[in-house]
Amino acid sequence: MSAEEQHTKSLVRETIYAATVYLDDQRWNDWIDQCDEDFKYSVVTYSPEVRKDLSYLILSRKEMHPYFDLLPKHNSDHSPLRRHASIYTVDVSADGKTAEAVTSFIMTQEMIDGISAPLYAGENRLYLTGKYYDKFRINGESVKFTERVARVYTRRFDKGTHWVF
Amino acid sequence: MPARNHKQWTAKPDLELGEWVDSRIYSDEEIFEEELEKLWKKSWIALCHESELPEPYDFRTAIIAREPIIIVRGPDNKIRAFLNVCPHRGMTIERRPSGSFAPAQPSGNPKHMTCLFHAWQFDMKGNCVDIPRQKEGYQDRLDKSSQGLRALRCEVKYGGFVWVCLDDHTEFNVETWTAGAMDCIKDSIDAEPLELIHYHKAIIDCNYKLWHDTNSEFYHDYMHYHNRITGFNDEYFQRECSAFDNGHVNVGTFTVNYEEYDVAEDRGTLSFPNLPPDNWYMVDMFPGLNFNLRGSVVRMDLMTPLSANQVMIEFRGFGLKSDSAEDRAHRIQHHNSIWGPLGRNLHEDLIGVAGQGVTMTPKSEPRRILHGRHEGAYIHDEIGMRHFYETWGKKMDRLPSDPEQKYRPGKVVGPEMPPAKGLSTFAGKVA
Repeated sequence: MSAEEQHTKSLVRETIYAATVYLDDQRWNDWIDQCDEDFKYSVVTYSPEVRKDLSYLILSRKEMHPYFDLLPKHNSDHSPLRRHASIYTVDVSADGKTAEAVTSFIMTQEMIDGISAPLYAGENRLYLTGKYYDKFRINGESVKFTERVARVYTRRFDKGTHWVF
Repeated sequence: MPARNHKQWTAKPDLELGEWVDSRIYSDEEIFEEELEKLWKKSWIALCHESELPEPYDFRTAIIAREPIIIVRGPDNKIRAFLNVCPHRGMTIERRPSGSFAPAQPSGNPKHMTCLFHAWQFDMKGNCVDIPRQKEGYQDRLDKSSQGLRALRCEVKYGGFVWVCLDDHTEFNVETWTAGAMDCIKDSIDAEPLELIHYHKAIIDCNYKLWHDTNSEFYHDYMHYHNRITGFNDEYFQRECSAFDNGHVNVGTFTVNYEEYDVAEDRGTLSFPNLPPDNWYMVDMFPGLNFNLRGSVVRMDLMTPLSANQVMIEFRGFGLKSDSAEDRAHRIQHHNSIWGPLGRNLHEDLIGVAGQGVTMTPKSEPRRILHGRHEGAYIHDEIGMRHFYETWGKKMDRLPSDPEQKYRPGKVVGPEMPPAKGLSTFAGKVA
């Protein structure tokens, strides 16, 4: 592996981990800034219950601003979702202009409200498991997401959420 | 009145019988067990959709009132339902949620249901077709011909939903059970074959009836910014709630203004056949099943009560089998934007009932739950819940407002009045 490819892989890893921090902290605009103009985001799963591939959410970059801007108008829990991510693979194209990465992640929920706050506040619960399948456009030191497919292995969401995975 | 003391708090409300219920009906374990016997084992329940079993030998498993059920499509293309219980030792015959019996299993032949424990095999009509070493073990005392599965009444009806009833002697078929409640959507969902496009589930620590109540009343639309901004006009307040025999209710339609919500897409061009563009009907089937036809998608909520204070809700979405890939993608987006696990409305509804479940745990202090809004049977009238609990009271022979007493009729229908207009007392639309 060339030093240049090694450096690009390192930039991709930093981008994925930065996205994890932004999403954990609900810094939605910082997350959007990491995405290129043609970025596509989706949450998908395979359901053995109905033996089908299912889509739970699809957003373009253009749709992400109003999606996040409307959050304060909606009721939701105040129990943050956080990720633990491990990057499994990063593959850089031969010309060094694009890359793909696979990242395993789990999400936990810090219970504050949502069920009985006096009982459960302070507890953490496993929320879902999944893998991110990411694609990037690389221009020098700039690494931008062009696609994120969050493939989850969870179909039981109980109350659900308004926050992306 | 300022905050109340205990006597005031627990006093009978200044409402008529039928306009409130006692919270014990949502939390008492004895009542819950009685409901399973008197309601759930006597009702027709739509457990899945025919598109979940598209091929011969496909199966789907489900539960009604703790009884495990398997639904199979036979080589004759007929869908049948059985208890998912081996007559030998009571093992669950099929453990997966869905699949196909066409391939061989580790201890079973292709095209058979096989109990893996001792390899008893059954055909798709429920006949026991093989008992290993039958003659050696049972001599002439027991024969496979007497060891068929327990067959259940099963019909495919209304858009291809698979309905099952545990009561062999029920006086109803699906059509008479639904008693006209499905008429408002049947021309739309029967126009052409439907196909499942969405599935996820929730297990919530609340009584199943609290979810049914939420689907039966629209006064809670104040909780949903999406519904306030796309509805809450004069036409919305003219939506009528209609009651039907056997405890069912439906809610009439209006035109949803999806363009009022920034990230919503108009559904007019993809609205279901025989449905005016962007219209929305809701059907609530006793004791715990809901159909929601909202423009371009149908949603079905199936409740499986797990205990007095816990329910599993399975959320299914449907489009048209004939959809192009592009149309299907739009339908899925329409569904998910409000009803998916990340959707705007479903999350809010579930927060509501989860919060009710916290206050109504078994043995918690009984309190009054009010169902007393009268608005001429229009959208914010609580007639849907009152009708449900009148039926509940009759079938349970318990008084919903004091479940230790025998049933007696309460007030369901209020005075006639014109539909409400506008939002004079609520500023939420401009928030």
